[in-house]
Amino acid sequence: MALSESQIGRYARQLLLPGLGEAGQERLGAARVRVVGAGPLAGPALLYLAQAGMGRLWVDDAAMVSPEDLSAWLYGPGDVGRPRSAAAAEALRTANGLVEAEPFRAGNLPTAVLVASGAQSTDRVAAEEARLLGLPHVVAEADGEGGAVTVIPAGSPCYKCAFRTGHGAIPTPAATAAVGALAALELVLLVADVSQEPRGRRIDLVRGQPMARPTVRLPGCTCGAGANEGIP
Amino acid sequence: MNPLLARKSALVVGTGGLGGPLLLALGASGLGRVVVCDDDAVETSNLNRQPLFGEADLGARKAPAAAQRLERLYPRLEVRAIDARFDAHNALELVSSCDVVVDGSDNFATKFLANDAALAADRPLVHGGILRYTAQLLTVMPGKTGCLRCLFEEPPPRGSVPSCAEAGVLGALAGLAGALMAGEVARLLAGERGAYAGRLLVHEARPARTRIVPVRRRPGCVACQGGRTLESSQGEACEVTVTRGPSGG
Amino acid sequence: MSATRLDVRAYACPMTYVRTRIALERLRVGEALEVWLAAGEPLESVPRNAVEEGHRVLSCEPLPAEGAGSWRVVIEKGNPPPEPL
Repeated sequence: MALSESQIGRYARQLLLPGLGEAGQERLGAARVRVVGAGPLAGPALLYLAQAGMGRLWVDDAAMVSPEDLSAWLYGPGDVGRPRSAAAAEALRTANGLVEAEPFRAGNLPTAVLVASGAQSTDRVAAEEARLLGLPHVVAEADGEGGAVTVIPAGSPCYKCAFRTGHGAIPTPAATAAVGALAALELVLLVADVSQEPRGRRIDLVRGQPMARPTVRLPGCTCGAGANEGIP
Repeated sequence: MNPLLARKSALVVGTGGLGGPLLLALGASGLGRVVVCDDDAVETSNLNRQPLFGEADLGARKAPAAAQRLERLYPRLEVRAIDARFDAHNALELVSSCDVVVDGSDNFATKFLANDAALAADRPLVHGGILRYTAQLLTVMPGKTGCLRCLFEEPPPRGSVPSCAEAGVLGALAGLAGALMAGEVARLLAGERGAYAGRLLVHEARPARTRIVPVRRRPGCVACQGGRTLESSQGEACEVTVTRGPSGG
Repeated sequence: MSATRLDVRAYACPMTYVRTRIALERLRVGEALEVWLAAGEPLESVPRNAVEEGHRVLSCEPLPAEGAGSWRVVIEKGNPPPEPL
């Protein structure tokens, strides 16, 4: 299905990117992405996914907008006290009327997942759910002056294999935004199929410098169960 | 949020792909005052990558629209909007009015002008640029590190490199670069050493490969010597006489 | 062989090349696209961008019948050049 006039006008600047073009843009438009989180970390990620043209965004977050969430890029002072998922969905539809955005509901079937809850335990559960459904997913964590983004194409080493203990320091606003944007960037490259790197990768952000390396499956991890069958 | 930043100020040139995320992250960092300079209006093709603006802003002048959004989100941030081109006539006054210069512009002429003006006024410059899938970042500390002209000497000749207006841009990559620039500004204003001071960071998004290019002072670099004639993008000259104070950083 | 025709004279850059690129994407290698564009920036950038992306510019000539400043550029779709890794 060809891009419409308004889609061409809206996405003109990214349609010029090598490897992206109409085909890549259509892949983005066909995507249904569940985003876990709607706070200052997920905010920039949600916005960039919407601006890039991810066709459908489902915001999975049960909290209310707090005054601290004004740094999430999505909310205004009038949103404080509203459910984050609803307020975020509304902001995203306003940012790009060509995409659909709603709170996530049980029964929704995503084609990709972006995990950015800001809480380790929630991240682990959400990443494992995505893995079990065979979905490509990206996990974002901000920590002190940096953080990490783990990119997990379907079938690659899982989030637990790549996980490193962070400092647990309160993330700075700049680091939070950088990690959120990087997570969106990686998911766009994955869904549009332009990443040039089929393997999973983990990108650590250390004092302003991104450092990427491929993920490696930890021996005995259940994510490799099929491949390791019969090997003790 | 660092309380030290509340007494500091930044000049941000450009409110689009780079300037937008930068301003949003900087505002949340507790910066006291920001001057935003942009001579453009919001267009449809901006909306794939400029988080400060939405459909409701189409047609609006960017500098005032940016100021309005920032003031709503960050009531303690003082914002001055300059709805004009950053050029040889106003560059020196603008860079001198703030503690740090941040280049979020989308064309080479402005980038080189920001470089020259920051050096002339002895202000640190945080430079960022995006081209297709590559982002680059550099911090110039006048008198200490190399500058943009130490690296490039002159802007590339017209047509040799696609202008930012011609080549593709991915919003999220510009967002990453803008947020990293905000982190750098926060570090500099807090009195720390910049992560990109004298080190050009180049990040290629598709292979997720990052490399560092050292940028040393080039002997004979006219910009580093100060007292340079600032040239606007139209080639108009504007003589600059600045007494370079002791480089206290 | 009749080429697909695309008229981008009503658009400003970068839309001129965006639309040219999409039209080329829809063709098979070896097929031709005839683009009508305006003199000035479109005429400077469209053929150059096409060549950079691995296509061939077969011809480039003014279209006096269409009024001053209209040009016709015929581009043959080529293979994209290998991208640097």
